Amino acid sequence: MISNDDIAKVLAAFKTASTYDFSDYCDRSFARRVDKILTDNKISADLFVKQLMSDRDFLEKSVRDITVNTTELFRDPQMWLNLRYQVLPRFKDKPTIKIWHAGCSSGQEIYSMMILLNELGMFDKAQIFATDINTAVIEAAQTGTYKYMFNLNYLDNFDKVMRENPYNFEQKYDVPYEKYFDIDKRKDVIQMNDFLCKKPVFRKHDLVSGCNPFYHQFDLILCRNVIIYFNPKLQNKVINMFANNLSVNGFLILGASESILGSANSSFERMVGFYRKKQTISMF
Amino acid sequence: MESEYKAIMIGGSAGSFQVVCKIIAALPADYPLPIIMCLHRLKHVRSGFVEALSIKSKLPIIEPHDKEPLRNGRIYLAPANYHMYIELGNRFSLSTEDVINHSRPSIDLSFFSASYNYKRKLVGIILSGANKDGALGLKSVADGGGLTIVQDPKECQVPTMTTASMNATKVDHIFTTKQIIDFLLKLT
Repeated sequence: MISNDDIAKVLAAFKTASTYDFSDYCDRSFARRVDKILTDNKISADLFVKQLMSDRDFLEKSVRDITVNTTELFRDPQMWLNLRYQVLPRFKDKPTIKIWHAGCSSGQEIYSMMILLNELGMFDKAQIFATDINTAVIEAAQTGTYKYMFNLNYLDNFDKVMRENPYNFEQKYDVPYEKYFDIDKRKDVIQMNDFLCKKPVFRKHDLVSGCNPFYHQFDLILCRNVIIYFNPKLQNKVINMFANNLSVNGFLILGASESILGSANSSFERMVGFYRKKQTISMF
Repeated sequence: MESEYKAIMIGGSAGSFQVVCKIIAALPADYPLPIIMCLHRLKHVRSGFVEALSIKSKLPIIEPHDKEPLRNGRIYLAPANYHMYIELGNRFSLSTEDVINHSRPSIDLSFFSASYNYKRKLVGIILSGANKDGALGLKSVADGGGLTIVQDPKECQVPTMTTASMNATKVDHIFTTKQIIDFLLKLT
């Protein structure tokens, strides 16, 4: 495993050569990711640092390798069912619903959301914003093209959330896949339909900055399995930023095993799987 | 008496559920050490597992949230579809990095981080399982000076994991379920 001295050098190199600052990432997972890059590329820590300083493309690629981009269509179906039956209906009568996918990775979460909104008749009034630290995954998210064979579970998840009703087992919704995406088994591709791909506003954004990249307050912020890579201090900073940019009674949705531990907790009311922003008295 | 160990980590897969049930059923309500379990499980079945284990247990069984502090006298279970690590400062951290050996949670990764954190104050136990996840993890426990135990392959429903562990490192003890229980009870 890479030494703590070498980790410090890697952190310093990122800070010097770019605006990326990983110093408040979780130590062990950051060390492990860097270690993996060194092993995969068969390079020493010193050479890695040298390349970060001299080669911008290499640096960007390394950011991509350090950050974790695991995602699925309707990942964690229970969360999507809660969203469908408990959360989204609350916004049914509002003229707009503004949603921010923070750390959107390759976009599966955004497409899941848009599919669900469309089935609930809320697609047109929704405004979808999506950010990630990583330009390459944003480009992937914009194209909405995914491997088919590797991602067969997407269809199982889709069935669970879109076709079945856990509150009424006899009820089945007939939602054809083609309504939202085309499957080409020969080319091994799932391609999201155009009307979905065109909708979201994408922006490159690093949550470490602690600011909202849009001039909007949001009704829903999804940030699932992103801040697990941050230390408690940075987690709290990011959650506070979310609290400041959520409308009252707006929802923050974290990953299944994430929770708000620090002072930011006081801004929220915990509901099953969600955090609802409380009405609070302004301190200013 | 103060134990020389600070934590016990258990890894298991196919065939380990009954063994785990027996072990936790035998632990008294005032068992002082934390038991950290990384067991392979179905990725989308989030509920049910803790409840099933809790029926047998006098100690609270918890699926830790990210950054949750680790406390003595509790049994922790790696949540479905996350890797689980112990960070310095005795907090859990979770990750959604790629599956390793077809597994998330990966037993190896949990053991690596626990060994880094506890060094010789860790007891690592590998139970029945059908793949070799855990073997390198148990080796890291041995390399860190911790104590290593595998369930006796003759008793395992599926001995692949214990055999792989024994090939990866010279384990301190090869124990039956009963011997594992006796050992854990005597530790404190």
